[in-house]
Amino acid sequence: MTDLLAGYRAAGPGHDEMLQSTGAAREAWAQMADLVDLHDGAALAARSHDVVELLANNGVRQGAGNEERPWLLDPLPVLFDEAQWAHVEAGLRQRALLLDHILTDVYGDAELLTSGLLPPALVLGHPGFVRAVNDIRNPGVHQLFMVGTDLARNADGSWQVLADRAQTPSGMGFAMQDRRIVAEVLSGLYRHARIRRIGPFFQAMRRAVRDAAPAGAGTTPRAALLTPGPYSPAAFDQAYLATMLGYPLVEGEDLVVEDGRLWMRALGKLEPVDVLLRHVDAEYCDPLDLRGDSRLGVPGLVEVARNGGVTIVNPLGSGVIDNPGLLTYLPRLARSILGEELIIPSTVTYWCGERSMCSHVIANLDRLVIRSTAPGAPVLRGWELTIAERADLAVRIATEPYLWVGQERVEASTTPAVNGGLLEARPTQLRTFAVSGADGYEVMSGGVARIAAAGSDVVEPGPNDAAKDVWVLSSLPHAYSDPWATDDAGPGPVSLPTSISPGSAEDLFWFGRYTERAEGTTRLVRAVGDRLSDYSVTTTSGFPLRPGSDEPVVLAVLRQVLIDVVGDGEPARLVLDARQPGTVAHALARMARSASSVRDQLSSDTWAALSALERALSAERRRQDRDPDAVADVGPVAARLIEGLLAIAGILAESMERDVGWCLMDAGRRLERSQQLVDVLVASLHTVHGRADDSLVIESVLIAHESAITYRRRYQSQPRVESMLALLLLDEHNPRSLRFQLRELAASLDQVPAPARGTRTRDELLSDVVDLLDELDLATIATPDADGHRTTLVTTLESMSWRLRELGDEIARVHFTHPVPVPWLDASGTFATPSSRGALEENGELT
Amino acid sequence: MSSRQKEDRTGARHYRLAHRTTYTYPGVVTSSYGRAVMLPREGGGQQVHTSALHISPTAAQTGEHRDFHGNRSSYFKVDTEHSELEVLAESVLTVTRKQAQVDRMPMISWSQAAEVTHTLGAPGRGGDSGHGVNGNAVIAVSEAMLASQMIDLTEEVRAFAAPSFGPGTPLAHVVADLCSRINSELEYKSGSTTIHTRLPELLEKRQGVCQDFAHLLIACVRSMGLAARYVSGYIETNPPPGRPKLRGVDASHAWASVWVPGGGWLHVDPTNDQFIDNRYVVLGWGRDYRDVSPLRGIVFTEGKGSSLKVGVDLMELSAQEVEDVRSSHVTSGPPRAGARGR
Repeated sequence: MTDLLAGYRAAGPGHDEMLQSTGAAREAWAQMADLVDLHDGAALAARSHDVVELLANNGVRQGAGNEERPWLLDPLPVLFDEAQWAHVEAGLRQRALLLDHILTDVYGDAELLTSGLLPPALVLGHPGFVRAVNDIRNPGVHQLFMVGTDLARNADGSWQVLADRAQTPSGMGFAMQDRRIVAEVLSGLYRHARIRRIGPFFQAMRRAVRDAAPAGAGTTPRAALLTPGPYSPAAFDQAYLATMLGYPLVEGEDLVVEDGRLWMRALGKLEPVDVLLRHVDAEYCDPLDLRGDSRLGVPGLVEVARNGGVTIVNPLGSGVIDNPGLLTYLPRLARSILGEELIIPSTVTYWCGERSMCSHVIANLDRLVIRSTAPGAPVLRGWELTIAERADLAVRIATEPYLWVGQERVEASTTPAVNGGLLEARPTQLRTFAVSGADGYEVMSGGVARIAAAGSDVVEPGPNDAAKDVWVLSSLPHAYSDPWATDDAGPGPVSLPTSISPGSAEDLFWFGRYTERAEGTTRLVRAVGDRLSDYSVTTTSGFPLRPGSDEPVVLAVLRQVLIDVVGDGEPARLVLDARQPGTVAHALARMARSASSVRDQLSSDTWAALSALERALSAERRRQDRDPDAVADVGPVAARLIEGLLAIAGILAESMERDVGWCLMDAGRRLERSQQLVDVLVASLHTVHGRADDSLVIESVLIAHESAITYRRRYQSQPRVESMLALLLLDEHNPRSLRFQLRELAASLDQVPAPARGTRTRDELLSDVVDLLDELDLATIATPDADGHRTTLVTTLESMSWRLRELGDEIARVHFTHPVPVPWLDASGTFATPSSRGALEENGELT
Repeated sequence: MSSRQKEDRTGARHYRLAHRTTYTYPGVVTSSYGRAVMLPREGGGQQVHTSALHISPTAAQTGEHRDFHGNRSSYFKVDTEHSELEVLAESVLTVTRKQAQVDRMPMISWSQAAEVTHTLGAPGRGGDSGHGVNGNAVIAVSEAMLASQMIDLTEEVRAFAAPSFGPGTPLAHVVADLCSRINSELEYKSGSTTIHTRLPELLEKRQGVCQDFAHLLIACVRSMGLAARYVSGYIETNPPPGRPKLRGVDASHAWASVWVPGGGWLHVDPTNDQFIDNRYVVLGWGRDYRDVSPLRGIVFTEGKGSSLKVGVDLMELSAQEVEDVRSSHVTSGPPRAGARGR
């Protein structure tokens, strides 16, 4: 076996985190090398594989929509020894204080702008500067609640800041998730090494939330985390952070401004929100006072913040700190505000709003990194541009110079990362976090590192660049810290309301429906698929064939049941095709999407089960791709899917609090199961076939509804329609029967708080179905008409079916919808006409 | 009685201003949030005696603050279910503003003015800029140089502006010339543009309303490195000779204001090709229309659509009538002392 470390070479002339220039490993890394066995490629590859699996099991995703992809994580952490970290930490604390001063000033007295310390155009021309929030002041010591800072190490080994992030600093949730996964994969090392925990940072954040709350909020202010929703690229990060902090995850439509306060819409009532952790860009937070076309905000939010009814953190307008042009002025501001030199310098940055710097940038376009100061603007590497592109860029800069900066290239230090069975030196940058504390800022002892492709510069990590955990080694054994010990001066136990928003309620309802749809469909497709395989054409002797066909009647009937209830296609397709509504794969995708919207409501075990379901589908797709001609037997994949779905059913039954959310989830499940049962019965029983065929059909229906064993034990006879209906419709002890579903559905809906306008229609629809069931005379309806149809049965079942469908719509109408905010018509366009001028002239008054 | 008679010896004119906006909705509105910049600001030759916003149905919450530019910004929230909402802004004020005379303005050339504007608040200068401008005025001027949402500084704008910016031309003359050119080269046509119309489109069509003319003048000035801002307000309209003035015939108006070093902000109305005088009422100012739109809001309703009716009356009062109003009303002044304006 070759020693991987012997083959590891730092990529360039720059600094490598692991190796000294002499080639020997730094002490901290040498220790890791031995304990993790960095020398063994196969072991490394195995650890990488473990990480991928754990990430999938925890549902860790990044990006959204078509861009959505798994979060990538390298198993090897970036290591800091104590002395190095002390320096970085001091630099970050100093920087946060300085940025806080700037933020406070520009929305307050603005002395920095009028005293010549900061050019006014730098701040006034930046899109992150929000005029509507001028003069709003949050309670507490600092206006800057938290900040993310990106760092890299220069070729000479010194640290520098690449950027500050205060609009919505993301990555804290990922930092914690990464730590948990790497600690599990490297559990031996993690326990052996003394590593600073990052949990205390989240406790500091809860303290900071308490300190920032409005005076009227009392000792237990209520906080919520505002997210743009599950389609946000940082959705996972936000949901995970909310769960860590124990705050509800809300979207704009879940909130409302009333009586000078901010409220969360809970089912049937409103609950106050004192502190809002904002993860929506400021401009989108209030359609009244900010962008009118935003659907992510709350009308009146700015006004209620202005009057101190709610504290928003980071405050609206904090995006002004993200302006890279500020980097030019920080050294001077540090000297004049703090009387100190910056402990960690920033990337050398030229703000083009100053003429001398603008000329310098334009003269050096071919070697500088050019970026607009606007958030999210692409980074242009001057040396990659053609001469014509550079000329165009120079014109754009000259037109609005205050919107541009030029920056010196950064050649970031490298760290070892696992690629297959090899170690590679990859450029690395670090996102760190600081949060406001009573005594300055508290810095997370760790963060999220991002590695770029070998040889590239880490100006911005790309979408396919992996993250790394960041370990700060400690010489002291860490004291056990109680994760629940939140506060020094915390009050006694307080029971906070656990109601949920209409949005979350709807997601849970649909999670229940799709979970049941996935299970019901899997069972039905499997039951029919088994028959199709069992009675393949060669072994059908004894079964009547369909006229003009070589297919037995029973198979034709069962195929039609699948078409009626699930959709068109072979059983394998009805399991695997995620694009076709009605299939198992489609239901599973919807289920996962609903789940990710209510991550804070679900047990963490849910993700392992969802991941297993996804793996079962992928494995089956691969198997079919390898061998497309093989007879597609859905049995094995269905077995694995049912296993995973039962695991989820178990989690829902045994690991979830029986709160309003659970009741809606359960209602969704019961409704879906009722609907599916009724539809299958209609599709399979409308026409009478031969006795043997009917027996087989009945048996399949019983199997699909998990009632075959009960049936055999109870009736010990040839399957009969009447007894099957007794078991599947009327039996109140059979957990698959319609009566059972309706009873549970009513019980669950009873627990859901009623809205002001009541639930009459909803309750009437449900009791109609119960009445229809009560009035059933099995002996009569099981008996076919003279022409071989069970008309009465079908009519009754169909009448139940449409009521159930209506009931689903009515539940959504009653519990999940609320009025939508609409901007007023614009009152302009009714301007004065210059006819006034004519009148003036007639009076001879115009000079 | 001609309006002339109501102007006293000091050149003061007195007005009662009523701006009524009525929204009608097809469905029931459960709640409505509004933001208005409809109460005139003090200063610049304007004295506001009374000023108030009346909302019907009565608002559950109201609030007022000075916005970033020092304008009076009103907030209200209506909780009562309604299908018609009326917002009435009523003020009584006296305007003593005299029309600026180009020949009495500082003769600083536009290029010198651009240099002064550029170096205002430049790093390292600190404190007094040497042009009698410091503190918040530095911020106001610096901001008024920058492009903004409705003011694109495009090539088309620069090309339109160029003929007015002759070498060495005094800035005040440049402004007067731009004003005349916009007035003569563009046609005033109601409904020809919307609030979303951008300048390149306006220059293409050469038709617009006062808001567009103001935006164009501002853009021309800014494109040459100078400072200009958007002013929202009203202009008094006189009925044709011999006819009484009808109710609701007045309307919102908008113009531009250009910073002249040593001369302050020069208000210029390209729609009527003149500097403003005591027939104009200033509501407030900002970078462009979006900073001072008189009224905007959000409703919660399940119904779709709405219709809108606006009526503005700017009626002259005699000195005695104003005195009566002043003695019977408690003056509604600025919301809080020391609030700053830019």
